[in-house]
Amino acid sequence: MLKMAGAILVCLSSALTGYMLAGGLTARVRSLQALLVGLQNLETEIHYGATPLPEALREVARRCGPPTAALFETAARYLGDPAGYTAGEAWQRALEEWRGEAHLRASEAAILNGLGTCLGRSDREDQVKHLRLAREQLGLCLARAEEEAARGVKLWSYLGLTAGPALVLLLL
Amino acid sequence: MTDRTVTGQGLPGPLLAVLPPSLRRLVAEWPVGLAMRVEELRIRLGRPLMVGLNGRDWFVSPRGELTPVAEEAYTVHADDVARMTQLICQASLYAVEEELRSGFVTLPGGHRVGFVGRAVLEQGRVRTLKYLSGFNLRVAREVRGAADPVLPFVVDGPRRRVRHTMLVSPPGCGKTTMLRDLVRQLSDGVAALDFPGVTVGLVDERSEIAGCYRGVPQRDVGVRTDVLDGCPKAEGMLVLLRAMAPRVIATDEIGRAEDVAALEEVFHAGVSVLTTVHGASLAELARRPALRYLLGLRVVERFVFLGRTRGVGTVECIVDGHTLEVLEVPRC
Repeated sequence: MLKMAGAILVCLSSALTGYMLAGGLTARVRSLQALLVGLQNLETEIHYGATPLPEALREVARRCGPPTAALFETAARYLGDPAGYTAGEAWQRALEEWRGEAHLRASEAAILNGLGTCLGRSDREDQVKHLRLAREQLGLCLARAEEEAARGVKLWSYLGLTAGPALVLLLL
Repeated sequence: MTDRTVTGQGLPGPLLAVLPPSLRRLVAEWPVGLAMRVEELRIRLGRPLMVGLNGRDWFVSPRGELTPVAEEAYTVHADDVARMTQLICQASLYAVEEELRSGFVTLPGGHRVGFVGRAVLEQGRVRTLKYLSGFNLRVAREVRGAADPVLPFVVDGPRRRVRHTMLVSPPGCGKTTMLRDLVRQLSDGVAALDFPGVTVGLVDERSEIAGCYRGVPQRDVGVRTDVLDGCPKAEGMLVLLRAMAPRVIATDEIGRAEDVAALEEVFHAGVSVLTTVHGASLAELARRPALRYLLGLRVVERFVFLGRTRGVGTVECIVDGHTLEVLEVPRC
């Protein structure tokens, strides 16, 4: 009886681990897709509306929906803080809080960090250039992430499902 | 520009909100009595932090105390200036391109931050400023009743009309404060003179008179006043004339030929004009070609000369525009 319960637990945890790893890959793709839309919206707010950054970030967050909204919303909140954060600092803090949730790689976070250091510091044309560059770079990351997800999601799901029973068989 | 909420004991919240924490710490704890007398704060990169108080400059020490000795003062760092730049424009330089060109932004409450840096030119004109390095925070204070001594000369009692009036003084003598109070009183009505309020159109090119923040006047300019904020004077006067049917049009600091041409239109439309101009005497005004032409028209009915002989806003004398006789030299 105890062996049976242990075997079920091993199978379940193996399957769950597989699904979590596969889920991480899917979440990364979704985050990158949402980020690209968010940055496109931010570009529109800046280029056509010249909307001040806190307001623009909140507007983008409203249109994005969770979980990507949290990045823009948090950055806007830090910008409104009486402590007087610069746009770069506000963005970086928001990014640090949000990054884990988004399953982003270090190289992808670095692109966003680089964008943060330029946000709000120049005229509209220049801002648009920085936003487009970040979107282009993130677009390449998305293509790679989609490729990895296409291979990885199935791999991790099946591996999770099969590794548990295989281990149980070995142990029995 | 900012939506941050910061409160202090004496200095207005909107001004504290644009100060970086390192500078805010120095001035936020000033007692009300001191803070209420502050006229301006001067923040210059690599130089001592200064405060203008009762027409005199003081330095601010690293502990927030006032001192006349520059060496004892807090020196403004690059980080202070960088943070202040971000706070002033809500971390959005792109959103204040027009303000960068004109060299100032207006804060809620009508306070104003002027700044200097390196000008970026485009076809010989200033496109924007970069490397901002100096700020001047000017505290806006209304002086209600500043126009009281002048009103009886501006209002033509029996005809219940407002005379074409020009306020003349060198900079810093209270022209704008006087104009604002004149506008307010003429708009609300003056019971003592049995003058009912009239519709006033105010062209506030530099947002100094009504201190508009996002188009809404932050100072009391009267219940019948329509403010055209940030609009060039010449164009603005004609827009108001066409659109808002004012009985009085007020504007600040005329001097260019196009301003005078627009004023002529207003004169001929039967609308009264209140305006200010830099200068110390009629002879000085006459040396400027556009103003010489305006004086030649002999339409301005009252010249009010302001000075500082007994403090800012002293009415030195009032001159009849037609006879050029001095009507009053109050307590001169």
